[in-house]
This record gives sequence, structure tokens and C-alpha cells, in this order.
Amino acid sequence: MPYHTFKCSECIPERAMHAVIKGSGEDLTSCLPLGYLNTIPGTISERGCAFCGAKHVIGSPMKDVIHLSHGPVGCTYDTWHTKRYISDNDNFQLKYTAATDMKEKHVVFGAEKMLKQNIIDCFKAFPHIKRMSIYQTCASALIGDDINAVAKKVMEEMPDVDIFVCNAPGFGGPSQSGGHHKINIAWIDQKVGTFEPEIKSKYVINYVGDYNIQGDAEIMIDFFQRMGIQVLSTFTGNCTYDDLRGMHRAHLNVLECARSSEYICNELRKRYGIPRLDIDGFGFEPLSASLMKVAMFFGLEKEAQAIIDEETARWRPELNWYAKRLKGKKICLWPGGSKLWHWAHVIEEEMGVKVVSVYSKFGHQGDFEKGVARCSEGALAIDDPNELEGLEAMEMLQPDCVLTGVRPGEVSKKMRVPYLNIHAYDNGPYKGFEGWVRLARDIYNAIYSPIHQLSGLDISKDEIPTDKGFMTRQMISDVNIIEDGTTPIEERPYTGEWDIVTKLRGKKYPKLESQQQLGMV
Amino acid sequence: MDDVMKDRVEQLADFIMKWCLWQFHSRAWDRERQNEEILTKTMQLLCDEPVNLSTPSDRCYWVDAVYLANGFKKTCPWLGIMDKKDIKLLMQGLKERIDYLTINGSLNQELTNPIY
Repeated sequence: MPYHTFKCSECIPERAMHAVIKGSGEDLTSCLPLGYLNTIPGTISERGCAFCGAKHVIGSPMKDVIHLSHGPVGCTYDTWHTKRYISDNDNFQLKYTAATDMKEKHVVFGAEKMLKQNIIDCFKAFPHIKRMSIYQTCASALIGDDINAVAKKVMEEMPDVDIFVCNAPGFGGPSQSGGHHKINIAWIDQKVGTFEPEIKSKYVINYVGDYNIQGDAEIMIDFFQRMGIQVLSTFTGNCTYDDLRGMHRAHLNVLECARSSEYICNELRKRYGIPRLDIDGFGFEPLSASLMKVAMFFGLEKEAQAIIDEETARWRPELNWYAKRLKGKKICLWPGGSKLWHWAHVIEEEMGVKVVSVYSKFGHQGDFEKGVARCSEGALAIDDPNELEGLEAMEMLQPDCVLTGVRPGEVSKKMRVPYLNIHAYDNGPYKGFEGWVRLARDIYNAIYSPIHQLSGLDISKDEIPTDKGFMTRQMISDVNIIEDGTTPIEERPYTGEWDIVTKLRGKKYPKLESQQQLGMV
Repeated sequence: MDDVMKDRVEQLADFIMKWCLWQFHSRAWDRERQNEEILTKTMQLLCDEPVNLSTPSDRCYWVDAVYLANGFKKTCPWLGIMDKKDIKLLMQGLKERIDYLTINGSLNQELTNPIY
């Protein structure tokens, strides 16, 4: 077995099977780390909790909803300053969040009365909002408050409101993934099938497992609508509460992040017979194949090909410009869950960077199967790494850039290894053809930033050159390219706009509208 | 199975592992169904046999099968000169290999979890 033992974890024998190096001839029957197990005491894991997975990943992107945490105020910390699941209703769900602010007296005497008053107060504070999602926390779970009963009572008293209850306390699983699971199942149990959506096309899908980080989902929905496909719901980015209640009427579930939302697709297949199609929305080739697969399901191949041709012609020269300059650079691909496998192969194929490590804090073994299968030989795959293991991996692998979240990213910055935020993104969206170029641009900017020439100097002892300026990105990256003169003239750096999402809102879709005119059911 | 056939099976399995996701559904029973349905339809496409498209599920398996058949033809030019009998044998070998990698020989401890 190709398990890798970190020096810093030799004193924690339970970590022995949580990291592997993919060796020559290894396959998944010999090379797979453990995953989704309880955190080992002493490893100082960097995982989130199940409440966080339920509320801050899946629940809160719903845009026309008051999101209320029933617990201490700190539980609802993550909002507009840490999350970037934007929406087209002025980001209501990012700008406003609510907590019942449980205190010691509520733990002793119960908090149901206080919860009920909070719900009513919230609806009064936002009279135009008629939907609410209440999230149980560790505190309210431990004292046994019956949130469902309180919500039911309020709905009886206020018939124009609808309330969803998510019982996923922080301790409800080894990591945030436990919360993903719980909210998937709670939503289909409580809400799917309770609302009849308006069907506007012969071709109807749910787009599942996209949280509209910096507009990712809106980019994908644009493609689908250009083909004439109605996206009944997006689970859950930029989606309304009622659209998600109508998921049972789709013809196909198009699944992006299987890690966070395969559960609801499996249940929709089991209960309503809706097939599940797993896709890759990142990278030119996988995205093209994915759009074509969705199109083929409905017989819309010509429509898909037109989009693929147009987008590829527009953006491929810009991707190639970056790929030429990123070739051979080493990256650690340390995302949350699904990008581990969405990107493991295609970022190497299309941008030329080498993925030397993949990791996930909350991925299951199924995610590592996909990631290990897709990454190249020699890659180090780590389940639930701690900070010291991350540091040791960086020292061992010497990456040029780390693609990860803020917490491990700040650590890599201290190691003088640039990082890119691929949870909330730096300059996304990264989905779509243009989005993939934006990612390449951000990696290029990170690796070749002039700051690295200065940040390594110690002003207390190093000689600081004052007779020359520092080199720009392109002066560094183009040394070899200028010398061999092989850059085709059409290749160029990114020429898109800063905001590529807002213009999609309100866009007309003739193919979709023609379906509506036919009165399709 | 001779060495040439083994090598060819491995090339096809590598393509699936790198470019597909359908083989990694969550549970063993899902994977059995996915492998059976998609690889059978792929074999039918490669052998110019009719493919059942009567249900939404069939169409969903079929789109993955079309992608696979096209990918195989593009990356494995030797497929074009194989006769249909040999393609069926090849695909049977591929099915056994994918079943082994994703189900029977898998180290994934969640495959037998009885609920989603």
C-alpha cells in the first residue's frame, strides 16, 4: 500500500492510512486514503462542522429566504464577508442573517418561546420575505428544542409564510459533509413536491450542486437557456425557496458537486424516477462534453454545438496564452471537495500545470477515488490534513502555487508560496469557458506577481537594489516565449470584462421563449 | 484473455477513470447498475446494434455511452479494425475490470452503506 507517513504525524499512528502517493502502476484497489471519519484527537484538524455544511454551504445560497440560526449568535458569523454565493435580488441572503442569540438562561429553561418570537420578529422586519430556513445548532439540539413544532405553529398562525427546518447541529457528523447530507435529506423529506412549478419548456432540468460562487451557476444556466432548456431549480445557488420545492417536476438532474448534493439526486431518482447525470462544468473539453451530454438527452445537439464552437473560438486563444506561460508549474490542489476531481486532470491537460497534491478536509473516499484516478503519478493525496502536514507537504513538493481556501492559503503565503482562493474565489466566476480563462489568469498573476521579488528580501540584512525596478509578470513569464517566437499572433491575455455575470440577468433567450409560446407542458 | 486484449482493456479503463464520473456513484448497487447499463449501451453503439432508449433513465445512460464510444474511437484507433465479436469480448473484459476497480476490489468503505 502506498501510504505516506508525515514526519509530523509519526506520533499519531491513526493518521497512517490518511495519505497516499500514487505510484507507478497503482490503481484504486491499492491506492486510496481513508476518508470521512471522525477527526483523530490531537491532529488539530481544520474541518468545519455539520451546521456549517448545512447552513453556510447549502442552505444560505437560497436567495429569498430569512436564514435563522437557533443558537448562539456566533454560529451565524459566516455571511457577506466570508461567503460569495451571490444572487440577483441584491444579495439579500448575504446581507442579512439572523440568530436567536441563545444564552445560558435559554439552555436552562428552554428557548422555544424565544424562537417563536424571533421567527415572528424576522418576518415583521422583512415583510416582503415569506420564506424562512431555521438551522438547529449544537446548543438548541442538546437542550432538545422542538424547532419543527414551533415552525408548524407559526405557519398555522401566519398562513402566508413557509418555513424549512434543518436539524444539523455542529456535532452531526465528522465534518461539514455531515451537514450537507442532513440538509439534502431534510429538504426532500419536507419540501420537494409541495409546490407546483410553472413548466415553460419541453426540456426541464434541475441543476444540482452549484452555489453560484461569484456567479458560477448563472454562467451555466445561461448555456442551458441558450439551448432552450428550462432550469427549474438550482440546488441551491441563486435559487428561490419555491423553485426548490418544485424539483420533482424536472426531467433530468444535472449534478455538478456530487460531494455536497448527490444525496438529493439519488433520492429524486428513487422517489420520482428522475435520472442523475454527473457533469464537469470546468475546463473546455469536460464542459463541452457536459453541455453535449445534457443536450443529447433532449435531442438538442445542434444547439449545444453552436455554443461550444462560439465559446471555444472566443476564449481558446486566451487560455492558450496562459497555458504556454504556466506549463510545468507545480500546484497543490487543496479545495473543499468536488474541485479535487473536477480539476485534477483538466487543469494539467489544458493549462499545463502539474498537480503534485490533492487534498480534502471533508471529502469521502468516493471523492478520493475520482481524484486519485484523475491525477498523475507521484501526486500526494491527503484526507483531512492538519496544518503541520500541509506545511510538510509544501516543503516536500515545492509547489509554485496552492489552490485552496483562506485558512490554509494564509499559511502558504507565510511560506512565500502564493495561493489562490478557490472556495470563495479571487476573480471568478471560474465556470464556463471564459471562467476557465479567468482561473488561468488568476493562477498566472499569483505565480508571476512582482511581489515575490521583494517579499524574499530581509531589509534588516539584505542589500536592497535601488538602481533598478522590479520585473513585471510578463517580463518574467515571457523570457523563453520571446526567444523562440512561437506565440501565435491570435493568442492574448484575458480581454473579458471585470463583471461578466450582471449582464446575464434579464437577458432574452429566444429558444426558451419560443417554447413558452408553444405552451409546452 | 491474451496480453494484447489485457492491454487494450487497460487503455479503455484508463479513459473511463480519467474522463468519466458515472462509475463513481455512491453505493455498490448504484455502481453495478451504472456499469452494466452504460457499458452495455457502449458495446451496442460500437457494434452498431440497436440501443434501448425507451425510458428517461435509458436516455441518461445512453448519453454517457455515446461520449464513451466516441472517446474510445478517438483515442484507440485499433478499435476501428476490430471485428464485432472481438469488440464484444473486449467490452466484457472492460466491464469486469471496471467492476473490479469500482466495486469488487474497491477500498471505499461506504459502498455498502444501506442508505444514501
